[in-house]
Amino acid sequence: MINFGFSISKPRTIDIDRNNLHKSNEIIEAMPELQTCIGCGSCTATCTAGNLTEFNFRKVHTLVRRGEYQGAYEEMNKCMLCGKCRLVCPRGINTRGVVMLIKRKIGDF
Amino acid sequence: MTFFADFCIPFIVGAAYMALVVAWKYVTWLRHLPKSDLKLIAKGIFSLKSLSATWEVIRESLLHARIWRVNPRLGYMHTSLAFGWFLLIAIGWIETIAYLGFRWVPLQGHVFFKYFVPKNNIETHLPAFDFVMDLLLLFVLSGVAMAWYKRHNSKSVGMKRTTRHTRFDRIALTALWFIFPARLIAESITAALYGGGSFLTGGLGDVLDSIFSRTTLYSIYEASWWAYSCALGLFFVAMPFSRYMHIFTEIPLIFLRHYRLRPTAEESSYDRFEIEACSRCGICIDPCQLQSQLGNNEVQSVYFLRDRRYNMLQQKIVNDCLMCGRCEQVCPVGINLNTLRLNSRVTMRNTPNEGRYKYLKGIDTSQGEGRVGYFAGCMTLLTPKTLHSMQQIFDAAGEQVWWADKSGGVCCGRPMMLSGEVDAAQKMVEKNKELFRVHGITTLVTSCPICLRVFRENYDLEGIEVLHHSEYILRLIKKGRLNITHNAQLTFTYHDPCELGRGSNIYDEPRAVIETIGQLIEPEHNRKNAFCCGASVANTAISDAQQRTIAQKVGAELEATNAETVVTACPLCKKAINRGVERRVADLSEIVAENIKNINR
Amino acid sequence: MKHVVVIGGGVAGIRCAIELAEMGIEVTIVEKQKHIGGKVRNWHKLFPSFTPAENVVEELIKRVQNCQNVQIRCCCEAENITPHQVTISGGETLNCDAVVVASGFTLFDARIKEEYGYGIYDNVITSADLEDMLNRRAVKLTNGASPRRIALLHCVGSRDEKVCQRHCSKVCCVTGVKQAMELKRLFPTADVFNFYMDIRMFGPGYEEMYREAQADYNIHFVRGRISEVSPTIDGKLQIKAEDTLTGRPLKMGVDLLVLLIGMKAGDSNKRFELSCHLRRQDSGFMQPKDSFLGNVESNMNGVFYAGTVTAPKTIGESLNEAVTAAHSVAEWIKHTA
Repeated sequence: MINFGFSISKPRTIDIDRNNLHKSNEIIEAMPELQTCIGCGSCTATCTAGNLTEFNFRKVHTLVRRGEYQGAYEEMNKCMLCGKCRLVCPRGINTRGVVMLIKRKIGDF
Repeated sequence: MTFFADFCIPFIVGAAYMALVVAWKYVTWLRHLPKSDLKLIAKGIFSLKSLSATWEVIRESLLHARIWRVNPRLGYMHTSLAFGWFLLIAIGWIETIAYLGFRWVPLQGHVFFKYFVPKNNIETHLPAFDFVMDLLLLFVLSGVAMAWYKRHNSKSVGMKRTTRHTRFDRIALTALWFIFPARLIAESITAALYGGGSFLTGGLGDVLDSIFSRTTLYSIYEASWWAYSCALGLFFVAMPFSRYMHIFTEIPLIFLRHYRLRPTAEESSYDRFEIEACSRCGICIDPCQLQSQLGNNEVQSVYFLRDRRYNMLQQKIVNDCLMCGRCEQVCPVGINLNTLRLNSRVTMRNTPNEGRYKYLKGIDTSQGEGRVGYFAGCMTLLTPKTLHSMQQIFDAAGEQVWWADKSGGVCCGRPMMLSGEVDAAQKMVEKNKELFRVHGITTLVTSCPICLRVFRENYDLEGIEVLHHSEYILRLIKKGRLNITHNAQLTFTYHDPCELGRGSNIYDEPRAVIETIGQLIEPEHNRKNAFCCGASVANTAISDAQQRTIAQKVGAELEATNAETVVTACPLCKKAINRGVERRVADLSEIVAENIKNINR
Repeated sequence: MKHVVVIGGGVAGIRCAIELAEMGIEVTIVEKQKHIGGKVRNWHKLFPSFTPAENVVEELIKRVQNCQNVQIRCCCEAENITPHQVTISGGETLNCDAVVVASGFTLFDARIKEEYGYGIYDNVITSADLEDMLNRRAVKLTNGASPRRIALLHCVGSRDEKVCQRHCSKVCCVTGVKQAMELKRLFPTADVFNFYMDIRMFGPGYEEMYREAQADYNIHFVRGRISEVSPTIDGKLQIKAEDTLTGRPLKMGVDLLVLLIGMKAGDSNKRFELSCHLRRQDSGFMQPKDSFLGNVESNMNGVFYAGTVTAPKTIGESLNEAVTAAHSVAEWIKHTA
């Protein structure tokens, strides 16, 4: 069971000074609209996979943007790519594109 | 006669080189075909299929029948070049035989016949041949002139845009344009000096004779044949690496297709035949809404095939496609553009992960029991009016229904497949299949064309009939299980969803249902030519704003019908079109549920 | 005597007409509804003071009716505008010296956000419906019972690219808090939940009202946008959202769901743009000359704006703008005379 973002061995603080933001910047550069996320949670609420298992798209991509990559690939692999989130996102973020991009950029981190 | 002159060298070298490269390509492609494909070839080669393939080769590779249907002028251009050139060669061959009898003549002897056998060298002149050859040359030249004019003014042949070419293509294209004018000049000078030729070469020969002195003509005589030979040689050298490879690839492709070879979900050697059969005519560019409505260039099928052929394919080009199938619909070569794009996505997909979707184990969120299963699909949960209307329809028809995913279920897998991750999608497919089996349904109804397509094409649901709700509703009406009030005052227009129309060939059922309710007014682009709403799950490259732009353009066309209600039969289309129109947008099921006369219970 | 046509008889239009009349200018109000008073007529109480809306509207109507030189033309629409002539429905033209466009906004049609079930399920209502129910003293469920659990959803048709409404409608946050308090007053034992993306309490007394709602009324604020609504077997509505502050999906059954619908650009704006080259913003609202000194002027000399025709505004702001517009008009007329 992946306890994403809450692992004991890691410090609780998101340490932006220590995190390597290189990947995160690459992701944002490829998909600038990701920065427009207002964290309303619509995507997570509507998520087909999130309805069946613990998966929070909003949290994963937010952590990735902060340079917290650990576990993100496994998490994004829970996504079924059904596209409901793209249909509800009030900011019009290409969420399916984000899932694919993050998986591609991060791989097994 | 020796049938050799120095100027023949460029031609001979070019032709030999081309023959070698083409043969090498054929052999490599065939050798790498999967075993199953080779079996199909062995089975088909000595059957009637070869005959019908031959007929198609004549119809398509020579006459270009399908391009005639796109635009007659464009058709004429292609026919004049292909069929005209073919006839020049064929009649030229006959001419050689007519003059020299059945004897071996090397290739250049046929091609440069007028040089080796001018009129003053012949005992009995056959002017009919001169006339026919001149006529054919004029036929081809008219095509060349049109091709040249098309480069500058594509609208003249009904195309808004033409292909932007690679360097090799430009070389080959330029050489091709020069071949026939060069031949005209060489043969005309020959006619001027040695006689022969009919209205064209003879006529031009007379004109040259009157303008220039004999000495001048003698001095450029050899040079003109050199020019002709060089143009041919250059064309032949560039040809296997340029778009003109299609000339030789389309022929085996047609045969293979008749032997039932098809591109598959994974790339195979067969794809090479399809890819190199693309002539880059660019007919696929205009129908592409990414071009016409968004101005996205360089992503259309012609460019995708080009990039894939030259191994310079980029992820973003592969992903930037709605897979609406509008290009496939018009492709004169009949290339399976969507399948090729998809198997490129499969090749370029993310590393598969075996452990995916473990969480699906033991999950069953379905409700109710019945022989008829209803699969709403993920998107339909965001258009609950459809769900609600289906409930009313089932109730009115007295149908016992098993609801697969009313409160959320497992995705059908098609969106995942469309992104190339077929192995991951398979896990969802297996899960849903297991649920369908466990609940013992015999009919599976879905209101989502995306789900419909994957159920029909990838699920292998033996013993379960898969129906789109439009088909199911029409069946209920026909059987009298559903009585609908007809009101001619109600006006509807219908938007064909890509996955339902071009994807699943369902055009008539939704229309028949609408016509039992009210009056149907067709939009300008409908059925096979219908627009895509822009929200296709196949495209992960375009932005929301671009999706909206497409939706608004499509919406404007639907509103132009002045119908009260815009009807569609796909939740995604409904959501998309709603962004582009002011009037009501409804799913087919809604207008049915609103007009049910009877409660049949 | 100088003559000005005011398009729209809502609060901004009326206020502007009164001001112009008091300066000795003849005014014609063109109103498409049967009565003047605009959308505020249908409202119950106004934030943040809970002032009955009728106090404001009736006072305005009384005052405008007392003005000798104001003519009110109801049931007619402005078809075409030029600074010196307004063509109204039926083809009649009104000659004038200036025009004030105070045609307001259109309420967002909640049926477009189909996933919220408005027009599909019982007991999903909009904020405008709720005001009407409050006015009729008929706030109850469709089966006549009192709601025991109520959810209010903010930002329906605002800040939403999916329905082509990028802008913030400004007033819904405060309205949501106000309505939550009114509902709690009516049904003290009911649980009231407000689902929001951001709470924007920008005006005087608003933040205080928000705090009061939380502290004294025990209204729950959940930070998350509802994504789907579905009916439950026992006739309730199940809503799904993410409780973003805990990062977990949240679902609950409610008896009543109130959708706080936003302000859409007025339906007539497109016509104004097409017929008389008035500029519109991307949001569809009209574009004032600038945001500061020319905020009630249009890109055409002699055409002025007042109220929500240019952007979502509160009633107070609309009234202020109406006065400013009237003075700008008077100045313009004096200038051109």
